[in-house]
This record gives sequence, C-alpha cells and structure tokens, in this order.
Amino acid sequence: MRVKQNSFKLNPTMLAFFINLLNIKRSKNMEPEICNINDPECHLDRIRGWHGDLESNMTSLIETLKDIRKHSEEAKTACSKHYAKTVELTKAKTRFTYEVSHELKAPLASVYNIINVILDGYLEKDFEKQKELLNRAKVRINDVIKLLNDLLTFSRLEEGTKKLEMEEINIGEILSSLTEEMNVYAGESDIKINWNFSDNLPHIYGNSELLRRAFINIIHNAIKYSNPGCLVKVTGKKENHLFLLKVKDQGIGIKKGELPKIYNIFFRGENARPEHKKEGMGLGLSLVKRIIDAHGGSIRVKSKVHKGTTAEVSFPAIQKKEK
Amino acid sequence: MPKEILIVDDDPDFVETIEIILQGNGYETRTARNGEEAFKKVKEKTPDIILLDIMMKTKTDGIWVSEKIRSEKDLKKIPIIMITAVNQDSEMAKFHLGQEKDMEYMPVNAFMEKPIEAKDLLKEIKKLIGGPK
Repeated sequence: MRVKQNSFKLNPTMLAFFINLLNIKRSKNMEPEICNINDPECHLDRIRGWHGDLESNMTSLIETLKDIRKHSEEAKTACSKHYAKTVELTKAKTRFTYEVSHELKAPLASVYNIINVILDGYLEKDFEKQKELLNRAKVRINDVIKLLNDLLTFSRLEEGTKKLEMEEINIGEILSSLTEEMNVYAGESDIKINWNFSDNLPHIYGNSELLRRAFINIIHNAIKYSNPGCLVKVTGKKENHLFLLKVKDQGIGIKKGELPKIYNIFFRGENARPEHKKEGMGLGLSLVKRIIDAHGGSIRVKSKVHKGTTAEVSFPAIQKKEK
Repeated sequence: MPKEILIVDDDPDFVETIEIILQGNGYETRTARNGEEAFKKVKEKTPDIILLDIMMKTKTDGIWVSEKIRSEKDLKKIPIIMITAVNQDSEMAKFHLGQEKDMEYMPVNAFMEKPIEAKDLLKEIKKLIGGPK
C-alpha cells in the first residue's frame, strides 16, 4: 500500500482544503505541526508519515487478526473434538442404561410369567412342574442380584480406587480357596481343571474379595465356553516382580474381530450362544478388567475359534525385604 | 385343528411359560430361540401367528425375521406380535436399523412390552386370528 507522489496532483483550491482539514484533525490530538500552505512537500512528508504509521498499524492488525483466526480455528477443533467425545459418552451412557434395563427386566419378566402361570392355575395338579418353575425363578432372581452386586462394584471402581480396602494378600490362599468350588462347577459339565501353582507364590497388595471375584470369573468363563470332556489349565507363578495367572481352555474361542470388544459391558461373542449360558453373566470381563486395573495389573486374552482361549493376568508382587 | 402360534424368544423360561398359557387356552405352539431357527420353522410350516421377541442381542434378531417374512410372497400375511423387554427397544431398533425410520416402519401388527399379562396377550391374539379353533 504505497502512495505514489504523483497521485496527489490536485488543483490548488482542493489541496488547500485538504491541508486545512489535515491540520485541523491532527491538531486536535497532537502537537500542532502546521505546514505552510505553499509547501506541498511538507504536507506530502506528513502524509507519508501517517501512511507509514497506518501501514504498520494495518500490518500488526492483520497479524493480530491472523492470530485470532488461528486461535479460533484451534478452539473450533478442540471444541468439535470435545463435542464428539461428549456425544460418544452420552451414547455410551444411553447404551449402558438400555443394556442394564434389558438385563434386569428380561429375567424379571420370566419370573413374573412363572408366578402368573402358577397363580392362574395353569399347572393346578402338576406340582412337580410348579416346583421346577419356582426353582428356575429362584435362579433368575439370583442372577438379578448378582448383576446388581456387580453394578455396585462397578460404580465403586469407577469412582476410583480410594474407596477400596486394600491390604497385603497371600495370593496362594485365595487361589486354593476357590479350587474346590471351581472343580465342582467344571465337573457338572464334564470338564477337568488342571491346577498348577508354584511354591513361591508372592503376596500382592489388593482387595481379596474383588480379586477372588476376578479369578472366579476368568476360570468360570474358561469352563462355560468349553465343550464336555475338555481340559482347563490354570497356572500361577511368580516371574520377576510379577504374579502371573494363566487360564487356558480348549473351548469355542473368540473371533479375532471380537477380541477388542470382550471388555465391553454385556458383550457376548457370536459363537457364545445362549445354550452356553449356564447362569447369569453379570458384568463378566468388563468388571474383571476394572478390578485388575484398580490393582495396577494387566490382562491379555488370546484366542482362536474352536481351539480355545488363554487369559493371562499379571499383578505387581510385593517385594520381600531381605533380612 | 387348533390354530398354531410360533413363539420366538432367546429366553427359555419365557418361552416355556408362554407355551403353558397358550396351550392352556387351546392353541398349539412351536418355539424357536433365534431368528434363523424361527425363519426355518416358518418355512417348514406356516404358523397362524408369530410372537416375536425383538432379541436385539442375537445375530438374527426379531427385526431381521419380520423383514424376511414380509419379503416372502407366501408368508407376508402372517400376523406378527413383536415383544420387547424394554420400551426403549423400539428406540434402539432405530439405531440398529441405522436410519431414522419410525417404528411404524417395522413390519409387525402389534407391539407388547414385557412383562406380558396373559389376558392382554390372549386378547391381542384373538383380535388378530380369533380363538383357538
């Protein structure tokens, strides 16, 4: 924006008018600096000076505007990222509410039917059938209670680990306390468990009730998704500074594409059909994962369809002080 | 010959109790535990009416079955009562369909929400196909 000198060729009257105007304007705010009316060079110098000021002001204004634009673009990107995240979270929450409502209402609807069928006299003389249905109602109600307990634990874990009671735990004691229960459960489906724990199982820092629940859940899954006659191998050992638990089955396996979803609430693989469902599933692996995370541990699941699944869990072991 | 009702639900307790109610009222029943099995059974022998759970969690869900049945010339007139466990099922079905279609789009004759009252169910069936004989 350079002003050419010859662009100011005005007639003298007009020139005088502008000069006066400029003088008046300038003198209002600044030191009066009046040029002689017959000295156009002086006026042109002044105009050039102002123009220079204007140009530098414009340049810095443009820079400021560019900055503002850059910042607003950054803000816009951050905002849309935030918005997308909020939408995603809201959707996840809606989905969660839906899934929970579904998981609670479906068994209750069946229990309601069972009670109605008996109360309405459909099975008036068939006491055996009545008893069988009432037993099933009991199982379904237990499922609902189990699910509610899991949900409570889940929200406790979501709130943070501060509220968990943690202490030094003998991992060997926890594992041996659940072997019998698991053997009985496996035996019902004609499945054998091969337990293999090393002698030097370490102590870890944690909540024994939650850890027990996580271990049971992993072993339950291995049994639940195994076919009769199959073997489930459970290995526990200390390796470096970690406690490692490995549960390997020869069951139906998980499809490769489904592996990343196994920790999602209520997720069930396509080949995990309802006939594999021996009892309510609770929150399953999604809860296990949160329990393990809350203990600073990790879980890794490998699987091949029709070959089996291996779950490997590790926890930081408490280091014994040398005496 | 009594009229036949096909009950489709992945919850065995629900299926069995509905069977007891319907048989107790003179209807004949057959059952299926997923969409694929349901469609196979419909093809084998046309039922007079289908009670179809929305079964959002199964691969071949209730929506799939209803669409499949409505697309077959010989089957499209079979009355269908869609059963949902949560009233939100219908909302979730929209997600599932991946389009903003109203539930009126769903090719079924009636919707019922669990828990089902036996008398309401019988009334709905009677309205659609009449009594058992």
